[in-house]
Amino acid sequence: MATEYALRMGDGMRISLTKEKILEELEAGSADAADLGEIPTLSGNKIEKLAEILMMPGKAVSVEQGMEVPVTHDIGTLRIDGDQGNSGVGIPTSRLAGCMLHERAFGADTMELGHIDYSFKPVKPVVANETQAMEVCQQNMIIPLFYGAMPNMGLYYTPDGPFENPGDLMKAFKIQEARESMEHAAEHLTRDTVWVMQRLMASGADGVNFDTTAAAGDADMFGTLHAVETLRKEFPKMYIEVGMAGEIVLGMHGELEYDGKILAGIWPHQQAPLAAKAGANVFGPVCNTNTSKTSAWNLARAVTFMKAAVEASPIPCHVDMGMGVGGIPMLETPPIDAVTRASKAMVEVAGVDGI
Amino acid sequence: MASKEELIQELSDAVISCKKDRVLEAVEKAKGVMEPAEIIEKGLAAGMNEVGTLFERGKLFLPHVMMAADAMTAGVQVLEAEMPVGEQKKKMGVIVNGTVEGDVHDIGKSIVSTMLQSAGFEVHDIGRDVPIRNFVEKAKEVNANMIGLSALMTTTMPGQKEVIELLKEEGMRDRVKVMVGGAPATQAWADKIGADCYAENASEAVAKAKELIVGK
Repeated sequence: MATEYALRMGDGMRISLTKEKILEELEAGSADAADLGEIPTLSGNKIEKLAEILMMPGKAVSVEQGMEVPVTHDIGTLRIDGDQGNSGVGIPTSRLAGCMLHERAFGADTMELGHIDYSFKPVKPVVANETQAMEVCQQNMIIPLFYGAMPNMGLYYTPDGPFENPGDLMKAFKIQEARESMEHAAEHLTRDTVWVMQRLMASGADGVNFDTTAAAGDADMFGTLHAVETLRKEFPKMYIEVGMAGEIVLGMHGELEYDGKILAGIWPHQQAPLAAKAGANVFGPVCNTNTSKTSAWNLARAVTFMKAAVEASPIPCHVDMGMGVGGIPMLETPPIDAVTRASKAMVEVAGVDGI
Repeated sequence: MASKEELIQELSDAVISCKKDRVLEAVEKAKGVMEPAEIIEKGLAAGMNEVGTLFERGKLFLPHVMMAADAMTAGVQVLEAEMPVGEQKKKMGVIVNGTVEGDVHDIGKSIVSTMLQSAGFEVHDIGRDVPIRNFVEKAKEVNANMIGLSALMTTTMPGQKEVIELLKEEGMRDRVKVMVGGAPATQAWADKIGADCYAENASEAVAKAKELIVGK
């Protein structure tokens, strides 16, 4: 009987596969990414390398010596303080202690401060609180500390915001009105983000992390890229990371352009040059996990997309790794076997600059 | 004069172009040559299926799906108005569709509703963050053949199970099929909670709804 190796499905379920089956799944996953993104599949030796990583006997694996990359964390300090609903461990901790734990105990190379609501719009009324927290953290920390939040343009639509919900308008076939609503919301997103970051930068922030850009589709990315552009002009030396929400920019509007490129339907290797053009220092590409496919299929697919993004990007790519992204299963607390294998593969095969 | 195959292609292409004028023009041309039911099924619905595929591949976007659905509906209305009573296209079934309580994700579920509607189902989209009981009440009210349950978070998935349990309690489970979907849902999850099917995307939702309700 052929030896079987312990893998997982995209929903985290344990499975056992033979080497032949693993190779088959890897090739199929890579082919899926290549087909969708119109990018090259992974070569034979890259597929072999992925199989080797997946079949390693240890529960946790690591990169080869000399291949270490910078690691940072999103969601502020909620990983400590939050409950399982947001992948936290439920230990009551101040934000300062949370940031310092990441710096001094968890080996984070950079860190971000974030508010519990974690979107730019709800930060506006509590910005004084945020600036104070930023100052305190900066006084106690050494590693670069950014301010992080989601553009989350959905908050500008009814019932949460002033503009009519494009989802409702579309359902009524009011396509033009829906598009206008998105354009207005994007303008407000740009304005609010810049306003919040002006204050955080005045309080000592080292930069900003735009987390889950384009979550509300192409207009969300449009608003974010314009905010990046404005911030870069005002703060030439600030660090700006643009991290994405998903592998493809959803075409909610369908016709918005940045730098002459339609934003709807673009994949990581097409997103990275636009983030760089706007003025970002680092791009955070994403590949979503399919819960019905094996971890081998998902990992090869994610590595294929990330490799293409790294090659196309004029700025460093820090891949988004976590629950349901980067070839990692969709579980509130992602299993360490899957996280470490996927991370090793991203560094050694996709060539990402950071995680 | 254009052949039947050419007319079918023209109908399908017109829907894919998302332009109502083109669809109505293609319908007018096909009317003398083909039966209305054939125009709808082989031309318009086939075009809408292709729109669904192009959407899933990131080649067409949400506004296009909606415009194509609107154009197709206009074409169907023209044909139905001219069909004798009794021959008008019958609804393939009645579906209640919504996102379960605690979950505000709306887009994917709305696309599924639109595609099911375009395929000929009577769809009652009851929105997002829908209390469990509302699914069952709505299914009773409209005499639904199926309930579609969307959940985009691992924390809200149990809502899908609760709807199935409530259907059992109400003695409705035998006559109402249940479809589940959303990023964290899988076939294994559907099996575990006793759903009738799992659909990964909108096209699959249409195919599986047809299989379950119409048997094809």
